[in-house]
Amino acid sequence: MTLKKTPNNTSRGHFGYFRDLIAAFKNGDKYVRLSSVAMGTGYIARKQVIKGILVFLVQILFILSMIFFAAPNFAKFGTLGTVEYAYEKVGLNTRINNYDNSFLILLNSIVAIFIIFVFILFWIHNMKAVYELQVRKEHGRPINNFKQDLRSLIEGNFHLTLLTLPTLGVILINILPILILIAIAFTNYGGLEHTPPTHLFTWTWRVKNASGEVVGKVWDNFSTFFSNKNSNFNYAFWRIAGWTLLWAFLATFTCFIGGILLAKLINSDGIKFRRVWRTLFIITIAVPQFVSLILVRNFFRDSGIFNTICSDIGLTKLLYNMHLIPTPDTIPFLTNPKWTKFMIVMINIWVGVPYQMLIATGVLMNIPQSQVESARLDGANNFQIFVHIIMPYFLVVQGPALITDFVRNINNFNVIYLLTQDIYQTHDLKMAAANAKEPDLLVTWLFRLTNENASYNIASVIGIIVFIACATFTLISFAIMMRGNKEEDYR
Amino acid sequence: MEKRRHISVVIKHILLAVLALIWLIPIIWLIVTSFKLDTGISVSKFFPEKWSAHNFVDLFKDTKYTTDGIMKYKIWFKNTFIIAVFTCLISTTFVLMVSYALSFCRFKGRRFIMNISMILNMFPGVLSMVVIYFLMKALDLTQSHIGMIIVYSAGSGLGYLIVKGYMDTISTSIREAAIIDGCSEAGIFFRVVLPLCKPIIVYQVISSFLMPWGDFVFAKLILGTNSSKWTLAIGLYNMLDKSRLNAHFTHFCAGGLLVSIPISILFLIMQKYYVEGITSGSSKE
Repeated sequence: MTLKKTPNNTSRGHFGYFRDLIAAFKNGDKYVRLSSVAMGTGYIARKQVIKGILVFLVQILFILSMIFFAAPNFAKFGTLGTVEYAYEKVGLNTRINNYDNSFLILLNSIVAIFIIFVFILFWIHNMKAVYELQVRKEHGRPINNFKQDLRSLIEGNFHLTLLTLPTLGVILINILPILILIAIAFTNYGGLEHTPPTHLFTWTWRVKNASGEVVGKVWDNFSTFFSNKNSNFNYAFWRIAGWTLLWAFLATFTCFIGGILLAKLINSDGIKFRRVWRTLFIITIAVPQFVSLILVRNFFRDSGIFNTICSDIGLTKLLYNMHLIPTPDTIPFLTNPKWTKFMIVMINIWVGVPYQMLIATGVLMNIPQSQVESARLDGANNFQIFVHIIMPYFLVVQGPALITDFVRNINNFNVIYLLTQDIYQTHDLKMAAANAKEPDLLVTWLFRLTNENASYNIASVIGIIVFIACATFTLISFAIMMRGNKEEDYR
Repeated sequence: MEKRRHISVVIKHILLAVLALIWLIPIIWLIVTSFKLDTGISVSKFFPEKWSAHNFVDLFKDTKYTTDGIMKYKIWFKNTFIIAVFTCLISTTFVLMVSYALSFCRFKGRRFIMNISMILNMFPGVLSMVVIYFLMKALDLTQSHIGMIIVYSAGSGLGYLIVKGYMDTISTSIREAAIIDGCSEAGIFFRVVLPLCKPIIVYQVISSFLMPWGDFVFAKLILGTNSSKWTLAIGLYNMLDKSRLNAHFTHFCAGGLLVSIPISILFLIMQKYYVEGITSGSSKE
């Protein structure tokens, strides 16, 4: 994805942002300076009374939220709470005490930090705005009244109107959880002993042993994966990470090639009823994955119908004699590590090729026919045309999509979870101890860790690692692609 | 030469037919199994020995509620439908708003927003799922459809790429002409750009409507154990619990088939626009 150059973007480097602020303090009159304490004054002084009052109300709201919301939480942020959940007697009645909920303390503190951060941005913006009003007044330029300000929200400032609600949504559902996830990676949140509301959790560097000494270190949760060679998590992590990468590569590559080949086949000369063929393939992806994949899972299970058919036609015996399966009567499609991995890739071809076929059909239509024609005149055969013209064209047009597909496959939860959950049992004790299974991806492992094992801190570490790996990979590959942007070669 | 060409066309058709059959086997199995008389999973025969439509009737029987309480197909369908309608409304609105702002408006921080959203897009929801669950719990929105709608639609603004790619193909001269005619920015959005975006809006509407029908991970986490709040996906998944497999496998197939039919139709409508959006997005960016 290349970002278009914006002509109106007056970028003055990173320091311009603060230079304006400093100018506001240096050259601003008393109203501007007073605005740094009582935020509405700069507006009221320039007759923008309503705006001034509104801004002042925001400031009061902020101060109130700091006193009644942020302060009590910040006070406990260092320890994440000290009062355990308990019953206390009040006269004759028993009631639950006023306990600390570590998670709520963490959540509220992060929200409060976020509010402070946004308020600082607002404050800086406010200082610049009132200073600009002063400059405008000095030069006799017009100053908006409130009606004009409102009007600007559907005119020049329409983007503010458009972006506010979606941004709030993204903050709530995307940004806030990521921040909390990062924080949890540095706590001992998890297991029966450290799950709120009935129990407290705390930062890793505050973890104490039985005799009360502090034994925890900041990176404790990370070192179970990386430096501690004996830990089961370390053992499982490298195996699962390796398989995740292999899987993402295989899944992306097979579906990409398969989709192009299928699209070429349907589009090739002489094929009748192209739309019907396309629709037949598309129907398979129109069925929700949780239906189709669970069905496929039952189709291939050890005592399932496909195994019966295979043993009826003698295939099972043949494979047994070739030493490819351990027992003479069942093919362990979804129970043996190697077979499962193989089957998952195959079934993913079934899931992914129709999608890619759809996209490839669109791209195929745009292939410059002149190049294909001239290559043919030069005596190139179909295979040469495919390798030297069609594939490179696809790689350029589909390059960004391939990268996002790769990242999506790293996090392909549905296929792996729906195919292996409840069926696959691991026989590797160290994997089992880490609550992992051989065909797990990092994301499905993370899900099992939280859902079946409540190891929230360990799961958060995995989440952070996956995110950093995916983000680095994507940024680097986009940077490389933008440097050698070959898109123009085909225009 | 003509004969060789003829043979190669025949071979291609045979190849296509074989591939199509492989791709359709699970779907065919779904259809025939949903008409099977005995409710268990068949291990030896692909086609049922005795056919019956009772599985479909069972799904809508009220008595089943009380016997083992796991077949509330009508309720689940209604729940999913409500969630899907609201998710669709909010998501489409958000996506169109963000796409227009990033495609047509020029403002400070536009590139910053696009870069940030690219990075955020790489963070899959599955990773922060548990935190989202705790967040919803703190807001007292678990086991509620409002919580589900928020989870599905609040972050939808990030999914603007395809629609923005489409909007980028709309010539700026149309917009400039509208400005000269005295049209406000909001007027351009509603009266000029939106009508031109009809195909991609259809794509967006359908794809966001379909989302709640296919997702079961978030739904399972947030809606919990109260089966009358469930969506179809969890309800059907739950029918295949080990202990119920033999009593409900055909019900699962019937339910799955019933929900697949409207979804497939919508999907087929959508795929036309899907290709259009994808290809126009990639060639313009």
